[in-house]
Formats: sequence, C-alpha cells, structure tokens
Amino acid sequence: MRRRVGELSSERLASILLLPSILIIVCVVIGPLVFAFYLSFYKAEPVIGGISSEFIGFSNYLYYCFKDPLFWNAVRLTTYFTVVSLIIELILGIGMALVLNKRFIGRPFVRSIMLLPWALPTVVNARMWEWIYAGSSFGALNGLMKVLHIFPADYDAVWLGFGVPFQNIPLVGSFMEWVGASTALHMIILADTWKVTPLVTLLVLAALQPIPDNYYEAAGIDGAGAWSQFWHITFPLLRPVLLVILVLRTMELFRVFDIIYILMQYSIRVMGVYTFEVGMKFLHFGKGSALSFLVALFILGIALIYVKLLHSEEIY
Amino acid sequence: MKRLMVVFLIIGMMLVSGAFTALAAEEINVIYMAQAAYQPDEVRDMADLFEELSGIKVNLEFVKYDEQHEKVVLSAVAPVPTYDVFSLDLIWTAEFASKGFCVALDDYITPEVRADIAPAIMDAFVFDGKTWAMPFLANFQLFFYNIDMIKQAGFTGPPKTLEEMVEQMKAMKKKGIVKYPWTDSWNQKEGLTCEYVWLTGAFGGDTFDEKGRPIFNTGPGLKALEFMVMLLDEGLANPKALTNDEPAARDDFIAGNAAFTSNWTFQYGSMNDPAVSKVVGAGKMGLLPVSKDVLGKYPYDSASVSGFQGAAILANSKNKEAAWKYLRYITSPIVQRAYLTEMPVWTSVQTSAYAMTMDPVIDIKAKEIASVHHRPKVPPYPEVSSILQRYIHLALEGKMKPKAALDKAKAEIEAVMGL
Repeated sequence: MRRRVGELSSERLASILLLPSILIIVCVVIGPLVFAFYLSFYKAEPVIGGISSEFIGFSNYLYYCFKDPLFWNAVRLTTYFTVVSLIIELILGIGMALVLNKRFIGRPFVRSIMLLPWALPTVVNARMWEWIYAGSSFGALNGLMKVLHIFPADYDAVWLGFGVPFQNIPLVGSFMEWVGASTALHMIILADTWKVTPLVTLLVLAALQPIPDNYYEAAGIDGAGAWSQFWHITFPLLRPVLLVILVLRTMELFRVFDIIYILMQYSIRVMGVYTFEVGMKFLHFGKGSALSFLVALFILGIALIYVKLLHSEEIY
Repeated sequence: MKRLMVVFLIIGMMLVSGAFTALAAEEINVIYMAQAAYQPDEVRDMADLFEELSGIKVNLEFVKYDEQHEKVVLSAVAPVPTYDVFSLDLIWTAEFASKGFCVALDDYITPEVRADIAPAIMDAFVFDGKTWAMPFLANFQLFFYNIDMIKQAGFTGPPKTLEEMVEQMKAMKKKGIVKYPWTDSWNQKEGLTCEYVWLTGAFGGDTFDEKGRPIFNTGPGLKALEFMVMLLDEGLANPKALTNDEPAARDDFIAGNAAFTSNWTFQYGSMNDPAVSKVVGAGKMGLLPVSKDVLGKYPYDSASVSGFQGAAILANSKNKEAAWKYLRYITSPIVQRAYLTEMPVWTSVQTSAYAMTMDPVIDIKAKEIASVHHRPKVPPYPEVSSILQRYIHLALEGKMKPKAALDKAKAEIEAVMGL
C-alpha cells in the first residue's frame, strides 16, 4: 500500500500517542524514584529554600542493616503481618472461590455482594474498624459481645491493645514477643483480611472456571475423593494464579501503611510506618529513602523465591 | 477567525485586569491547624475584619494537626513559599528556628507587648535567645475530678497531693464506686510525652535541663514513670489508657467511668454539656496536684504542661510586613477578648473584669497556666519525643522496668542529639 505524504507509520503513531503518558510516568514515578535513590546515599535534610545534602556513601544502608535494632524489629513485624495475612487470605479466598464455583440459587447475587468490602477505600475501612474495635462501651464489637452475653455488662475489652497473645504458652509466647505481635496487630490483620479476601476469591474463581468438569468426573470414576481431587487437579491448575496473588499481595502487605497508621499511628512500626516516620516526621530524607529501597529489596527477594517455587509449565 | 480573535482579546483583558487587582491588593497565605482550639469559622471571622481594616487579603488554609508540620516544611523548602504565616506548635520552635524556617520576631515585639504576656507563655517560643512566634493560643492541662465519687468514698474534697489522690482512689476501688478511678491519654503519641512532662513537674523537676540535656532518668522523671506504672499495677488506672488519645480519655471521664484525669482545656466544655456528658455537676475542674514532697516549691502547688500555639512568619515569605500586621492583629488583646472560648494569653485580658464574668473558671486557668512545664526545646524534637514515648510505653506495658526504660531512652536521645 502506498502511503500518503505526511501520514505516519503505525509505530510512529503509537509512540507519539504514548508520549504523554510516558512523560507523566517519568515525571511522577521514575523521576522521584531516581531522586530517592540518589538521596539514599546522602545525609539529606530540609533547609530554607531547598534540601541540604552531604554524600555519605552506603552509610544509610549500613546503619539500618547493622546498627538500628528498630529496623530489624520492623522487618520481623512486617514479615509476621505479611505471612499471617497471606495464609488467612489464601485459605479463605480459595475456600470461598470453591463454594462460589458450585451452582446454587442466588450465586450471581452472592458473587457481586462479596466484592463490596474490596470496593471500600482503605481509609474508610480503617475508620470503620476503628469504631468496631473502640475499647469503650461505644465500640461495636464490645456492644455485640454484651448483647450476646459473652461479656458482662461492665466489661469492655481493649481490642487494639498491646498485650502479647498466647503469652503463657512457652514457645509461642516468646516467639510472639520476638516478632512484636500484639492483640492490636491481629485485630488489624483481621480488618485488612476482611477487605482483601474478596480480591483473592475473585482471582481464584477466575482460574477455577475454565477447569473442565470432566477432569473431576474422570478422577471420580478412578475413585479419587474430594481432597485428592483438589490436591491433584485443582491446586496444580491454580498455581499460575496463586503465583500472581502471592506476588501481588506480598508486595502490598509488605509495604502496608494506611490501615496501620490510621488505627495505631506510630505504635505498630511496620516498615511502611517506620519509613514514613523517619522520612517525613523526623525529616531525614536520606535515611527515609534508604529505608524505602530496603523495603523494595525485601519484596524483590521474596518475589524471586516465589517464582522459583511456583513456576511450572501450564497444563491445559 | 474573527470570533477567535474576540475570544483571545477577552481572555487577554481578563488576565491583565486580574494581574492588576493582584498587584493593587496585598495578599497573604495562612495555614492554620484546625484542632481543639479556635475553630475555622472563628479564624475566618477574625480574618474578615482584618481584611476590612487593612485592605490586605487573607487566604486561609485549614489542615489537621498531623499535616501541619509537613506542609510548613514543604513550604519552607520551596523556592517560592506557599504560606506566609503559619500556626506553630511550641514543640517545633527549636527545630524551625535552628533550620531558619521562620523569622525571629524580636524587632517587632515591643516591650509593652512583652510586659503583658506572662513569661511562662512567652518563653515557650524562645530559642537561642530569640522569640520565633507570637503567642496565639494558650492550651495546657488541668485536673478533672468527679466530686460525687470523692464524696461517696468518704472524702470532703479533691486531693491536694498525688499521694492523697492515690488514697482516695484506693478507697473508691475498695467500695466499688468505680472500677478504674484514673484514666488518661497514654497511647504512644505526643500526648504521652505531655502527660509525662507534667507528672515529672509534679515530682519537682523537668525532663531536660536548661542546656537541653536529658535528665529524666533519675529523680523526678523516674518517680513520674514509676508512679504511672504503679497506677496500672494497682488497678487504679484503666488499662485502656494505654490506647487512649485525649478525646478518648475525656470520653472515659464524661461517661462516668473515671474519678480523675488530666486533660487539656477542651474537656471542660464537653464535661458540662448535658448532650454528651453523664457527669454534669459532678465533674469539676481544678489544679493538678503535686507530690507531697514538692509542696511549697511552686507558687500554686500545681504542675501542668504547656500546649501553646504561636503564630509565626515563614523566612522565605515575600510579604513579611503584611504578615506581621496580620499576626499582630489575630494575637491582639481585643481579638482574644472577643473569643474567650480559649484562654487569652494577655495578662490584662485574663484579669479583666469582663473575662472574669464571662468565664467563671478563668481564675483556676490563670493559676494553672503559671504552673506549666514545657516539653524539651531541642531541634530534633520529633525524634526525641518519639524515643521517649516508645520507652515510656514499654514500661507501661510492663515489658521494661521504669529505670531501665528511661536509661535506654536517655542513651538513644543523646545519640540523636550528638551529645
């Protein structure tokens, strides 16, 4: 085909159309990222009319890796938060997806309302659970406990408290203390899981739907029970989507900030909260940048492990 | 084509006239943290009258307390500042002054002005021998007690000392009048530092010495933390206090779930509001008690903590003169007289017959304000306070002994301050 003068080739047109979004990404994502990486090698503090910086090499990174106990506390706490949340989300998510994959009356309705918690903004979710967990008689959960006569009328539980759970069980108690777990942390895990499980369910459900029924029929004829059907048919076929969920959720959980900051401010120092505190409250821009790159490094490490463990040829 | 030219012409005229009006009228940008103090509509009213009188336009921005620090820093770091005037929490004085974010106001503040503001208030904004903000709001903690509970426990009046208070609380607990007589805001936030500062004062000392070095791990500072831990151990303080902020502590008290608490001035209003309070009439406000060993040390035998707010001018502001005019106006006696919901900073207003009639408890407030202790005035304050909060909280949770916690806090603070 002959091109008219002035007409663009499709590649060139594509790049011209992409240019604005690339520019925006460079300005608001890549630029700040590079700048933060640069700052992480400096002792950078705000001064009038700008930022003062003094090159200190890897000092910021070395400080956190070897000198700052708070950093490792944050790593342990964040890892605990991530692992526990992931386990609960996966079990609930897969379970709910399996149920929703069966045919029953009202399934479309259940499928759509199930998504509601996920549609809530995190801030709204956090504020809502703040009311539920309020440690006074105004708290919804305390109210419920009283109505059900589980709590006596004059007792109010402090749901967002700092007690270490299972403190009296020998090994578990000391483990909980070591990771810095508290009642409040577990309550936040619950609140966050409530919001995110629908997403996991949705993804798993999407992966379940294309699995043909005759796989199960054949397995049934061969005498496989429900569990071995799940283990030998469903689970291997879910692997790719599980990998996606694991990477996605680990990333989000590891850099959790909003729900914890809104409910507990700085008193549960996961890595996101600690980074914000160092960078934006104490105004150590260099240290804060170093911390955020350390968080990214951890996530990258975990993602690589996942890919190694779960990567397999798809069987369709 | 013609139509297009007309459009351009109109836009051009609008731009030019806009530029002229901007040139003609001076304008200042103000950032104010809206919290439990003058409310946004009140601040807007003050600004409206100022605009009328001065011809200087005032653009107000209201933010939450937690956002203010960040926004002011951002404006100071920028080549062109977003704001000219900002409300400054006294704990930022050393930090902002040492970084040169705000202007020293000593050339503006006249001796007459100084003479009419109590040194306890003015000192809060002094760092390195200079004054960095004009006092605007005088908040401080007061003692709140439930007189009905005290009488039921067999006492005649509020305790004069901390020891007497403990005795009353034990009697209340024994008689089953209230499960936890003491509540407070001891969650791991700035409020915890405030509570610790007044209690250290109540045991006769300060958390930092005059040169800005930490001294809280011995003497009064240690006694204060031991006292807090004791209240929890004996079941006198509500364990929920560890997760309370100030409004939550107030709610405990006004719901009738506590006999004593310390809180900022705002609790007085809620306590007497029948719509929210169950202790109208029983809830009273008085002076915070001190330890019996400290009696006679302070003029009113009381110790409190300051939570003052000043108004300051950003160092990179292009309109410093207009900014000062605005600042002088909103902090003036005449404005404060009109808004007695907050404690006026001017002695002449505090003691005026008008204020006495309008506010029956102004006398108590005036005494308490003269008894305030300041939180440490050190440049890395946010970090220092955060360390203090963390270790105090660990001690309250029972995870560390008070002495060990304070020793570690001191060591970490010294490292941060480079001492």
